[in-house]
Amino acid sequence: MTDYHVLYKRHLSYWLRQLRRNADLIGPLRSLEGDIIFSSIENIHEIELDCPASIPSPKEFIFPQKEEMYRFSDKGVAILSNSRKRIIFGVRSCDISSIALLDRFYGGLYEDNFYVNRRKNTVFISIACNNPDPTCFCLGLGTGPFLDAGFDIQLTDIGDRYLVQVGSCEGNNSIKGLKHIFMRPQKTDYDEQYEANLSSQSRFEKRITLDNVRQKMLEGRVDDSFWESVALRCFECGGCVYECPLCTCFNVVDWKESEDRGVRMRIWDTCMFKGFTKMAGNVLPAGKKILRTKRWYFHKLLYYPEQFGKFGCVGCGRCTITCPGRIDMATIANKLD
Amino acid sequence: MAGLASAFGSGAMTNSISEISDARVVFVIGSNTTEQHPMIGMHMLDAVDKGATLIVADPRRTQIAKFAQIHLSHKSGTDVALLNGIMNVIINEGLVDIPFVKRRTENFDEFEKIVKEYSPGVAEKITGVPASEIKRVARIYAAEKRSMLFYSMGITQHITGVDNVRSCANLVMLTAHIGQPMSGLNPLRGQNNVQGACDMGALPDVFSGYQRVSDPKARRKFGHAWGKKLPAGAGMTMIEMFDAARAGGIKAMYIMGENPVISDPDTSRLIEAVNKLDFLVVQDIFMSDTAELADVVLPAVTFAEKDGTFTNTERRVQKIRKIIRPLYGALPDWKIISELSKRLGYDMQYRGPHEIMEEIALLTPSYGGILHHRLDRFGLQWPCPDINHEGTPFLHRKKFAKGLGTFNPVEFIPPAENVDEEYPFILTTGRLYFRYHTGTMCKRTSTLEREEPECFVEINPKDADKLGIKTRSRVKVRSRRGEITVNTLVTDKTPEGIVFIPFHFREAAVNLITNPAVDPVAKIPEFKVCAVSIAPVMQNPGERQKSCYDRKNDIKALLELYEEPKA
Amino acid sequence: MKKNNAGYPKDLYLPLKAKILDVVAMTSDVKLFRLEKPEGFHYSPGQFIMVSVWGAGEVPISIASTPGIHDVMDVCIRKVGHVTSVLHELKHGDHLWIRGPLGNGFPFEDASGRDMLFVAGGIGIAPLRSLVNFVVNRKDKFGKIALIYGSRNPSEVLFMKDVLFWIEKGVEVTLTIDVKCDGWEHCAGLVTEHLDKQKISFKTGYSYICGPHVMISASMRDLSLMGMPAENIITTIEAHMKCGVGKCGHCYIDGKYVCTDGPIFSYAEIKKIGIAGP
Repeated sequence: MTDYHVLYKRHLSYWLRQLRRNADLIGPLRSLEGDIIFSSIENIHEIELDCPASIPSPKEFIFPQKEEMYRFSDKGVAILSNSRKRIIFGVRSCDISSIALLDRFYGGLYEDNFYVNRRKNTVFISIACNNPDPTCFCLGLGTGPFLDAGFDIQLTDIGDRYLVQVGSCEGNNSIKGLKHIFMRPQKTDYDEQYEANLSSQSRFEKRITLDNVRQKMLEGRVDDSFWESVALRCFECGGCVYECPLCTCFNVVDWKESEDRGVRMRIWDTCMFKGFTKMAGNVLPAGKKILRTKRWYFHKLLYYPEQFGKFGCVGCGRCTITCPGRIDMATIANKLD
Repeated sequence: MAGLASAFGSGAMTNSISEISDARVVFVIGSNTTEQHPMIGMHMLDAVDKGATLIVADPRRTQIAKFAQIHLSHKSGTDVALLNGIMNVIINEGLVDIPFVKRRTENFDEFEKIVKEYSPGVAEKITGVPASEIKRVARIYAAEKRSMLFYSMGITQHITGVDNVRSCANLVMLTAHIGQPMSGLNPLRGQNNVQGACDMGALPDVFSGYQRVSDPKARRKFGHAWGKKLPAGAGMTMIEMFDAARAGGIKAMYIMGENPVISDPDTSRLIEAVNKLDFLVVQDIFMSDTAELADVVLPAVTFAEKDGTFTNTERRVQKIRKIIRPLYGALPDWKIISELSKRLGYDMQYRGPHEIMEEIALLTPSYGGILHHRLDRFGLQWPCPDINHEGTPFLHRKKFAKGLGTFNPVEFIPPAENVDEEYPFILTTGRLYFRYHTGTMCKRTSTLEREEPECFVEINPKDADKLGIKTRSRVKVRSRRGEITVNTLVTDKTPEGIVFIPFHFREAAVNLITNPAVDPVAKIPEFKVCAVSIAPVMQNPGERQKSCYDRKNDIKALLELYEEPKA
Repeated sequence: MKKNNAGYPKDLYLPLKAKILDVVAMTSDVKLFRLEKPEGFHYSPGQFIMVSVWGAGEVPISIASTPGIHDVMDVCIRKVGHVTSVLHELKHGDHLWIRGPLGNGFPFEDASGRDMLFVAGGIGIAPLRSLVNFVVNRKDKFGKIALIYGSRNPSEVLFMKDVLFWIEKGVEVTLTIDVKCDGWEHCAGLVTEHLDKQKISFKTGYSYICGPHVMISASMRDLSLMGMPAENIITTIEAHMKCGVGKCGHCYIDGKYVCTDGPIFSYAEIKKIGIAGP
């Protein structure tokens, strides 16, 4: 189901103020140094409506960098859960695509209650990307710049107004009772959205093809010397994993506040560190950097498609922006293809 | 810093980080840049991608060395001979920038006399680097206009540390690779605010901005500002202070944000000195190993809990902002010092770090225009003499800070300790990527702690074969001062005859065995060279390897083994 | 492959409290913990649990007892790291926290009527004990049963009582230690040296291998060379784990999660996913 509406830009802040009544409103802000970060919105006019990719990705709102799970003491154990209602505004199409995959990963047979709890209380409002960054390559992966489905609400900037697509019940709830600002679209509105989509697609500087990647990896046709050259440039900072909207690994840590009480929490972890797979007695199954680099790409480009039918990369370009060794996912994917 | 000061008049990176990617030659000596300064390493790789020639001089085959077109694997402690050899070639082949040397430097003739003796052949004998490679590096480095030279602790932590730095300075002056963008001499500082601490006069003989204590004018200025008469004599360096404490000359000590029990050489002597003190105060953000020995511990706040500035390696003064509320009882450093001063009878009245910054600007010419409100976006690079100045991306443009640059003739002096029958290996120490210094902070981060929980010794496969040891076998590393037991890591990263041990570990504190001999000027200890022997620890068949993972293993227990110094 | 999510539908990572009924020091660094089985806790041989101590952490430990035979639950824990060191301090009457059962468990339905060879090294005997007891109890359903059990030295042989019981029940047991020593009347040498002496049918039989990584890969290779089909060579894979339910990613190897797709794999699977190679 997709419902279409038109929202004039002058009505945007009114709408967001309505939304803020029942939930925390989170959106992209520009920091003093120029970085884009998602944060709680104090002043609605500070929201960046057309900005480059945020670092880190908005996955931190449903899978936080540090999540307290249980509080323990000599008296017992309490489950810490967060069920604050949140609306995250201004998310990009690639991030929406990644969240759809995260939902499948954390759901399933073993349902991750912490994730699900946060997820069901969060509504994402995305803005389709009219101006992709030079590092973006979602086009080749089908995860952007415009989405056909999978969003709660998608806005498309068409001049002085947005074409609003509502794709879920949560999305519908967010515009309920606001008929006076969400108007019926005209044919020209659809046309303009189509134009915007086409023009955005033509603006991608990076293009990737992934037609043969899986077959080549599966048949072992990728030479180890290729991975060696990638691993050589890896500084082992783990930035690619932390910033990736699809990386889900975590470590579980107990933090003792005093002798008899503390918190068990999970924190983001990265498979780029050799200790990630370390077993009892200091045995390192992935001691070599080449194994770890290779595994990351195999997971994203081969095993993800096997498990979920989609590549484990949404083309947001954050790993490329972050990498001090200038390792670029798009270049690697193209070289593999 | 003493080495650079005597050559140029000030000690800091002469270029900016952003210039690196446009250099044509990047010469790195004694720095494991991609691991220890990854952001600078990133710019170096960019330069390489743009076609620059990367030259790395390091005994170990570090990650940055793998990108180098030329890797000079010289013997530890022979940096002077290597650099003199390179300069010998430059002089002999007429690659000297004569106008520069004539107009902007002094003492060239004295210097030339010494360098003449280090023909590539002589240098080869001392350093183990082939003469042809030395010639090649000299030609490449001298021929290109945009050549940058980088060094780090691999140059300074020797008894000849100052000599090493002087040699580097000689090299850049000889080829006029200074005072231009993308052309200069760049010491990479090991910690986020070492540059700032030095700038602020956290050295025994200078006020802020390297104004000498011995200069009566500087003394008068500061004395006037603070309303006190200031002593003219230089203070002691850290090593001298501990020596004095051991001899009974110093009775009380106040240590701020340092953990010398782990980081300084010859730990057992150091603890002896600390135990002789009547009173020890330690100010730190965590209960460090040194703090555990203190009579009073003053809890300080972390970087995220305070406002202020850090000065990074490219002389950029950057603002830090408080983002979390400090824990109960912890105070920012400036507050602790002010309060202490008040109780000692000198009333320091600052309402915040911005007021201190104003005083710094008033008294320090190079910080003259650096005030908090100007630092909001990207900070400012000193020298920044007045409020309208935009900062200085590269130093020594038209003249050196001290006027003429001075060539300091430097003779090669072998390391304080040499290998012999009994101690056949050279031990060099260094850092690990996942560890920061003595671990006061990073040991509290579970992920980092997981990465490198145990100390190890890196050894070349050929040496390992001779000794009959494999990776992860237990060995005793013994020096003239003590011994430690660690696991081995066999790797060709480390060349034959050299072994490497990271210094971060309390359980196997390598500084129990390193040499406390210091550079005669800068008093930096010789962490990088010390003679050791290696012997496998025999295990009974069928016995499982003991892990050295034992937190209860206390320094004191370690010390019982070394009651009688073996030297 | 069986998946079991019973016991805690509400919270995936919340462990249950279990009382320690007894602690037996088996060697200098291995202790056997006998736990009260929480209600509704059903497991099969080869499955594991996450054993947790609040304030120290969680570790995966295989279950050493046999469902249907033992009313209690045994876990055998070697002191190797921080959590296991804390566990070793616990005494009977104390509580620890468990989560599970997790993992797929040994496949044994296909082995009915066939010969079975168990190969254990060191503490690897613990998960196999669960299966051997299970099989010995239904001995008529299987063919010949043989066990090779290697230890470093005589003081490290675990579950001797069980071994004697199995011998009594007709299991062909070969005990071996690394280096021959006085007072040891059994075999010496590595377990792989005794594989070919087993009087079982290698062509149709099944083998279950558990122990150190090097021993596992050598045994798998040798058995395969002796003609045992790769599908019939079963082993457990040890991996670093934090969640046990396929989320944390630590045990992820080439598209498989050891915790949910394993920890029991056949040699055929291992070769396919390439996790055997050193």
